[in-house]
Amino acid sequence: MHSKQDKKLKILWFRGVTCNGNTHSFLNLPHLEQLLNRFEILYHPILESTLSLVEITKLKDKCDIFIFEGAYDPLMRRNEVLIGDIVTHYAKNAKHIIAAGSCASFGGIFKASAPQRNSGLIFNEDVEYGPLQSYKDRVINLSGCPIHPEWLSYVLGMILNKKEIEVDSLHRPIELYSNLAHHGCTRNEYFEWKVDADNFGEKEGCLFYKQGCRAPMTHSSCNKILWNNVSSKTRVGTPCFGCTEPNFPLTNLFSTKTNMSIPKDVPVGISKRSYLTLTGIAKTFYIKRLEGKLIDYKRDN
Amino acid sequence: MITKEIIEKIEGEASVEFEIKDNLVEFATISFPHFRGIEMILNGKNALDALVITPRVCGICGHAHLMASVRAIEDAYKNAGYEIKNNQKIEKIREFTLIMEIIQNHFKWFYMTLIPELEKLHSTSLVQTPLKGAFAASLAAKAIATFAGQWPHSSYMIPGGITSDPTNIDILQVQTYLQELSLFFENETLGTSLEDFLSFESCKEFRGLNSDFSYIEEKLISLEMHEKGFAYDKFLILGKHSFTSVSKLNKTHAVGIDAKFVNTVEAYSPNQITYAKNAQYKKEYYETGPLSRMMALNFPIIKNMHRRFKDSAYSRVMARIFELAYLLKKASSLATTLTIAESSYNSVVDISKITASGLGVVEAPRGPLLHKIEIEKGIIESYKIITPTQFNIGSSSLKNPTPAQKAMQKLSKEEALFVFRTFDVCSVCTTH
Repeated sequence: MHSKQDKKLKILWFRGVTCNGNTHSFLNLPHLEQLLNRFEILYHPILESTLSLVEITKLKDKCDIFIFEGAYDPLMRRNEVLIGDIVTHYAKNAKHIIAAGSCASFGGIFKASAPQRNSGLIFNEDVEYGPLQSYKDRVINLSGCPIHPEWLSYVLGMILNKKEIEVDSLHRPIELYSNLAHHGCTRNEYFEWKVDADNFGEKEGCLFYKQGCRAPMTHSSCNKILWNNVSSKTRVGTPCFGCTEPNFPLTNLFSTKTNMSIPKDVPVGISKRSYLTLTGIAKTFYIKRLEGKLIDYKRDN
Repeated sequence: MITKEIIEKIEGEASVEFEIKDNLVEFATISFPHFRGIEMILNGKNALDALVITPRVCGICGHAHLMASVRAIEDAYKNAGYEIKNNQKIEKIREFTLIMEIIQNHFKWFYMTLIPELEKLHSTSLVQTPLKGAFAASLAAKAIATFAGQWPHSSYMIPGGITSDPTNIDILQVQTYLQELSLFFENETLGTSLEDFLSFESCKEFRGLNSDFSYIEEKLISLEMHEKGFAYDKFLILGKHSFTSVSKLNKTHAVGIDAKFVNTVEAYSPNQITYAKNAQYKKEYYETGPLSRMMALNFPIIKNMHRRFKDSAYSRVMARIFELAYLLKKASSLATTLTIAESSYNSVVDISKITASGLGVVEAPRGPLLHKIEIEKGIIESYKIITPTQFNIGSSSLKNPTPAQKAMQKLSKEEALFVFRTFDVCSVCTTH
């Protein structure tokens, strides 16, 4: 007789060239135990698993959901087995393939450690490339450095509920990546009126004009589904570095590239002319409230 | 007989080759097989980009890398004639988030590494609760995120300060997370209050407890781990912090030191490819991490434990749990003394004006983490990272073994594998 355990979908989580940040981010999920109880963990590098690394590299088992963390390096071996053989074996039999993080999605940080050969599972930056081209219809990219735990929880929940996950042209779920990181940023009013942050370490001002913030050009829900259920980069005055996009990491991450003192990159889908016109108008106003301190503490101590 | 074991359920992956004689480990060589090339990636980039790239060395201790990076860049500012003096608020918040990262690490290690491995070794069922560790760690991560925006992979420390400007609401929130975390630790892990635990004077007092901790402690004794896993009984602390003191100890005798005397040597791993170099202090091996940091403080119980059990696997494990208690208390006191009065950031000259080298040293969860940067007009000319696991778990020859190699000798293979993990291995850091 089969127990309920046998019917659980089997997850296999495998690592390429990675920092394990996606694993550790996922461990922050508030309802981790409830979620994991609904699956069988065939293999995970840290969580208790049915099989060991040695066993899964024998390529005898199958999984329903194949999660890959890290960049794909075709020369890498795990337990002396070429990673290409491992990835193809499990992807071939899996109903769902999830690229967890920007390295697995587009190459990310660890594409740079061997730029001529490392890539994501089906993309090298935004170009279709990588070991799983034949199975690309089943690949969901959860870009982000790292992934947000709720994003992975969403995908697993949709799979459990047997619901179709719609994706964008880069295979990212549209319900998670239609937003921009800019949406929900607590500094939005400063963006509207083009009031830039004078300095780091302040509550006031928008980080788009000087500090390098990429939030208006970055597809993610970081300011909608908060990090650690608490905050986000821009909320603590750190610029968005665009870590969910295929071109991550860019360079000069703490300063804005400008062209005649206007940011070189303008928000997604807005023409430069429209942006310039609006900026020109907004800049003609002096709004005292936005130029001053948000909270005027009597700081005499 | 030679056998090879792949070590998983650690940070990354390692491989240990054992030379077995009469069922005991004669010698073991260790290799870390996966190259990642962060130092190379940094070359030619703006020095400030290191604050974004280096936390990505490691998913579990990236915050320590961030702090080592910011210290290295600030040291370069100083060497270029632009000394940065951070105020108390900046220093305290940085210190607080670093401590919270160590706390999350130790919780995960205790519940997700130590307990399952002990279970294997003892072939009995212990407390089947690895996800408890993730829960506790996630509370610590919330406290970090309140100031740092997110954990893992925050970049909120910058030369001259921090990017966030917390309110009293944030500080109160952080205090609440800490209270919740301390309660969890007292009720679930310890079975007694933090205060009581920290005031214990002898390991015998553990016996009165009934908790995850006391259960583990009994199992360690019954496996004779207090008589096994000895390294050199020499300890090294290099990062300057409020919670420890920079020193090296030969048994209990402490002397002051300077991080500039750290050196690296090629690893000895004749049959396997490894990308790790061994780290030493003045060409000698030292153990680093919680046991070292605790040895540098004056807790009666640590002295008592060391007198009886030296640097055994038992002491190593107990010190990590004791450090967890100590740091939770330290974090609580930091959080209650935080004020918002001072500024979060003080302007510094543009990085393009800086041509200098800098050294940043911090205590990461597993010990000293060193970042050395060379900057030419704001651009990284060279970046070198030395990680705690390189001190503890290098691979050397039989004549001069590293602390972990020494600790594994003359044990059964199964015991040796357990002792290996008492060092809390971070393979990803090691093959940065």
